Amino acid sequence: MGKHAVGLLGKLGYRNLRYYIGGMADWIENGGPVEKVEPAAAPPRSGQNIQSPISHTSWTGFLDLLAGWSLERLVGFWLGMILVFGLVYWGAGISMGWGLQAGNVAVKPDLEGLATAIYFSFVTALSIGYGDVIPLGALRILAVAEGIGGLLIFGCVISKLVSRRQEELTAEIHRTTFEDRLDRVRTNLHLVFSDFGAVQQLQVEQGSLPGQVLRRLESTVRVFRGELQTVHDLLYRSQAVPDEEALESLLANLVICLQSLVELSGSRPKNNGESAALDNGLRAISNLAREICGECVPRNYAPALKESMDQIHELAGKIG
Amino acid sequence: MARTESKLDSHHAYRVIPREEILARLHDPALLLVNVMPKETFETGHIPRSINLPVAEIEERARQVLPDVTREIAVYCAGPT
Repeated sequence: MGKHAVGLLGKLGYRNLRYYIGGMADWIENGGPVEKVEPAAAPPRSGQNIQSPISHTSWTGFLDLLAGWSLERLVGFWLGMILVFGLVYWGAGISMGWGLQAGNVAVKPDLEGLATAIYFSFVTALSIGYGDVIPLGALRILAVAEGIGGLLIFGCVISKLVSRRQEELTAEIHRTTFEDRLDRVRTNLHLVFSDFGAVQQLQVEQGSLPGQVLRRLESTVRVFRGELQTVHDLLYRSQAVPDEEALESLLANLVICLQSLVELSGSRPKNNGESAALDNGLRAISNLAREICGECVPRNYAPALKESMDQIHELAGKIG
Repeated sequence: MARTESKLDSHHAYRVIPREEILARLHDPALLLVNVMPKETFETGHIPRSINLPVAEIEERARQVLPDVTREIAVYCAGPT
C-alpha cells in the first residue's frame, strides 16, 4: 500500500519522496514514539474538569525527546543544566542579595563563590544534599526543580547505558543467526541445483519423467521455493543487509537454479493431473522471482547485483 | 508486464528512509511525515507529527495537503506491504 502511495505521489509530481518500508509495524516493534488521536471527548460542562491535553502531550513529548537523544547529548545537557543553575544561584546572590549560605555566611559574589554555587548545583542535581551549602528564599524552589530535572535526565543516561549493552548483544545474536541462515540458503540452493541436474540427466536418458523422478522434482521444487522466499524476504524486508559478496553468490546460485528449472519445466508433461503440486510450486516460484529485479527491490545495490536480479526477473517469465 | 511496472517505479524515483533517520529527525520540520493509512487506523496510532493522507484520497487531496512538491516527504503505512 505504501509503495503504491509513493507511486501515486510520484505521478503527481512530488520529487523528494522517501519511503519508510517498515511502516507502523516496524516503528512500534522498535519502540518508536507513537501519537494517538484521542476520541473526541464530550465537551466539558460549565468549564469544569478540563483536563489539559496540551500539557499532557508536551510532557510526554519532552520525555520522548530525551529518550531520542544520544548518550553524549544527554550527558552534555545534564552538565549544561548544572552549570546554568550554578550560575543562577551565584547571580541571584549578586543581584538580589539573597543567594546561598555556607555555614551561616552568605556566599560571596566572587570566583570562590561561583565555585561554591556550582558545587551546590552538582550536589543538588545528584540529589546528594550534604547540607553544607543551603539555598535561601526563592532559590529553594529553583533547587527543588533542579533536583527533579537532574534525577530525570540522570535516569535517562543510566537507562541509555544499560540498553546500549543490551542492544549490542541482540545485534550480535541477530548477526550470527543471520549468517547461519545465509549459509543454509547457499547450501540448499547448491543441492537444488545438483538435483535439477540429476533430474535432467534422467530425463535425457529415459525420454520422459517417470513418476518417481517427478516426485523427486516436486520435492526439490518445494525446497527451492522455500529458499527463494528467504532471498525474497531478505531483499524486501530484512533490516540486516548481507555484504554484497555474500548476496552476489546467493543471486548467482538463484540464477543457475532458475535456468535449469526453466529448461526442466519446458519439457515436463503438462496438465496430466499428476503434477498439480509441481504446477503450484512452479507458479509460486515464478511469482516470487518476478518480484526480484534491480529497480523493484527497495534498496539500491551495485550494478552487478542489479543485473543478476534482472536476470532472475526475466527467467521468472519463462517458467511454466 | 511486471517489467513495465518496475520501469514506472524507477521513473518516479524515491529513496528509502530508514527508521533511524526518522527517529533522529523526529523534530526536523524539513522532513514531512505522511501516513497513508485510513483515518481510523491513523487515529489509533502514528508517528508523531505525521500528516494523514489515505491512499484513496491522494489524487484528490495531495496538492491541497502537501502544496510544495519539492518538500522532503517520508511516506509510510502499516507495514512492508
